[in-house]
Amino acid sequence: MTELLPLPLVILGAPVLAFCLVALTPLRKNGLLAAQVVILLSTLSLIAACVAFFDQLGNPDLRESWTMRWMPMGGAQAEIGWLIDGTSAPMLVVVGLVALCVQVYSVGYLNHEPPHAIGRYFAWQALFVFSMQSLVLAPNLLQLFMGWELVGLCSYLLIGFWWRKPEAAKASVKAFWVTKTADGGLLLGLIVLFSLSGSFGWETGTLSTTELNLITILLLIGVMGKSAQMPLHIWLPDAMQGPTPVSALLHAATMVAAGIFLIVRAWPLFEAAPFTLDVMLWVGAITAFLGACFALVQDDIKKMLAFSTCSQLGYMLAALGAGGMAAGYFHLTTHAFFKALLFLGAGSIIHAMGTNSMKAMGGLFWSMPLTFLLFTVGSLALAGIFPFAGFYSKDMVLESLHHSHNTIPLGLLLAGVALTATYVGRSLFLVFAGRCRTPDAHPHEGPISMLAPMVVLAALTVGAGFMLFEPFYELLGQDASFHWTALGTGGLILSIGAIGFAYYTYRKGPITVFRPISELILSAPLDRAYETAWNRILLVGARGVAWVDRYIIDGAINAIGWVCTLMADRARKLQTGRADHYIGALVGGAVAIILYTVIAYSMWGGAQ
Amino acid sequence: MNPSVELQAWLLLSAALFSTGLFGVLTRKSAIGLLIAIELMVNAVNINFVAFGFARGDHTGQVIALFGIALTVAEVAVGLALAIQMSRNFRSLEIDQAQELNG
Repeated sequence: MTELLPLPLVILGAPVLAFCLVALTPLRKNGLLAAQVVILLSTLSLIAACVAFFDQLGNPDLRESWTMRWMPMGGAQAEIGWLIDGTSAPMLVVVGLVALCVQVYSVGYLNHEPPHAIGRYFAWQALFVFSMQSLVLAPNLLQLFMGWELVGLCSYLLIGFWWRKPEAAKASVKAFWVTKTADGGLLLGLIVLFSLSGSFGWETGTLSTTELNLITILLLIGVMGKSAQMPLHIWLPDAMQGPTPVSALLHAATMVAAGIFLIVRAWPLFEAAPFTLDVMLWVGAITAFLGACFALVQDDIKKMLAFSTCSQLGYMLAALGAGGMAAGYFHLTTHAFFKALLFLGAGSIIHAMGTNSMKAMGGLFWSMPLTFLLFTVGSLALAGIFPFAGFYSKDMVLESLHHSHNTIPLGLLLAGVALTATYVGRSLFLVFAGRCRTPDAHPHEGPISMLAPMVVLAALTVGAGFMLFEPFYELLGQDASFHWTALGTGGLILSIGAIGFAYYTYRKGPITVFRPISELILSAPLDRAYETAWNRILLVGARGVAWVDRYIIDGAINAIGWVCTLMADRARKLQTGRADHYIGALVGGAVAIILYTVIAYSMWGGAQ
Repeated sequence: MNPSVELQAWLLLSAALFSTGLFGVLTRKSAIGLLIAIELMVNAVNINFVAFGFARGDHTGQVIALFGIALTVAEVAVGLALAIQMSRNFRSLEIDQAQELNG
């Protein structure tokens, strides 16, 4: 099959075909048919991705690459094409699999929407799969940047799916602005990289350490925006205004992980930039800790998961900063599975209850036992409980920090582990235990199209840890086998203890000492600080620029136009419209020319 | 007679004719009168051609004069067509009546 048709063409071509079919033909008005087309072609894309992945597993040194010239830039060439190697192959499967699960789930989740809205939704889903896969397959950072911007666009479109709702429209614009601002750093980094090394590749070449630090810090700004790291995380909780399956796919499993993937992809650059690694370590550790704090005080189940995603992405970034590239990447993979599962579970709960507030839920164990089971699997993986996938990857993250002797960040991450288990326990008890706190609610399990994808993701959440651990490290060219260490055992005990603590507070009521802190967090001080900065600095500056534009630049243009009109008004009087005047002018002109010629000739020409 | 003296005589005739035509063009109000005056100027030029051709001793001037006459025929056809249109649209052949194209 590889001989007949290159796999990347199938991986990228199927979603593009789906997007064109749904977006450009009347198919989009028939929602269910559009969904079926998109799901069918996504399946095709996933199969191709799996074939590529297993080829890679069979031969970890395989490097399938194809590039063509795109445009000449100075002396160098910008190229487009694809690259399948040990780094991109696992991500292909993660993206394809989670996307397919989410698309199947969406059929059930969105069944009350009008058909044309479903068609629109699936067109963007297909576009997202294409964009994300082209980001993953990119053979250089320029093409990666194009995929990066496309997934940003899809994020904007899908957050604003319910665009009639003002909060959703605002949230989509906010997500767009924050990530675009950060992308400015990324773009600048690409420009600096190109101007210094003459290529968009990730080879260090002859770059000095200072240059590498500069380039990677600029790239890191883009990563911090996309992967919702402090202080650029503010868009992610608002992005929860989109449909829950979108949150699962874009804002938990794949798109926000694109930032981490970029670092993994361009690892040679980052590895050689010690300053950037330190920044990554600290940003990641602080985000992991604070994100968990924020998640602990949320009553909105989706916002809790959003802050949890910030926090987990912080773990990945911290691991990368400590030099544990494989640990960070492995945590990305397992997190994609269990966080997508959690979001889909939350979607089922929201679908059944009609509210996001965990305070209004309770007792769902009795009415939705299967969802309870699946959500619990995801929750325990998030809390890092053995033997779920999250335990393995989180342990590797902690180990990588331990090996690099970063005590304070490691402490922050361990505190984050305890906080994570606490909020996970809190949400489980609030949602499933006790009695339903909304008297007239009749929650029920979702249709099979919603349950089946969750079962698939739950199976991966259970199995990915011990099954994928060693092959994954092998793909990245690193040897690893899992050992129980004091750190891993300590983390596990910490998590179990924290869940117990969560149960204690659930029974006894919240601890009043922490109330001021939780109120401070819920008042979103950072958002307000940004808003103030926006109003005070940016808008004032923009008004100044607008004044210059309106009165100086436009004024000059208008003045030129006004003078022209005035002069033309005078000049038009010459045009009398009378033939005899024209003839007179003609003859007068001819006589004048002849006289001039004769005089000039007699004065200078005739003298020889 | 001396050829150069004879040429001078022809040129004087031509100049007189041209000036008459020019005077007519500048003073006439009637479109037909203008056409006749232009015709005089064209023929003054034709006389010049023939005279110079005679002085050079070849037929070039005569050939160009023939072309000029043919051209004049076309010009008169267009001019008369214009005059007809003018009399239809303005009910007049006075050219100062037609000044729609003023600025």
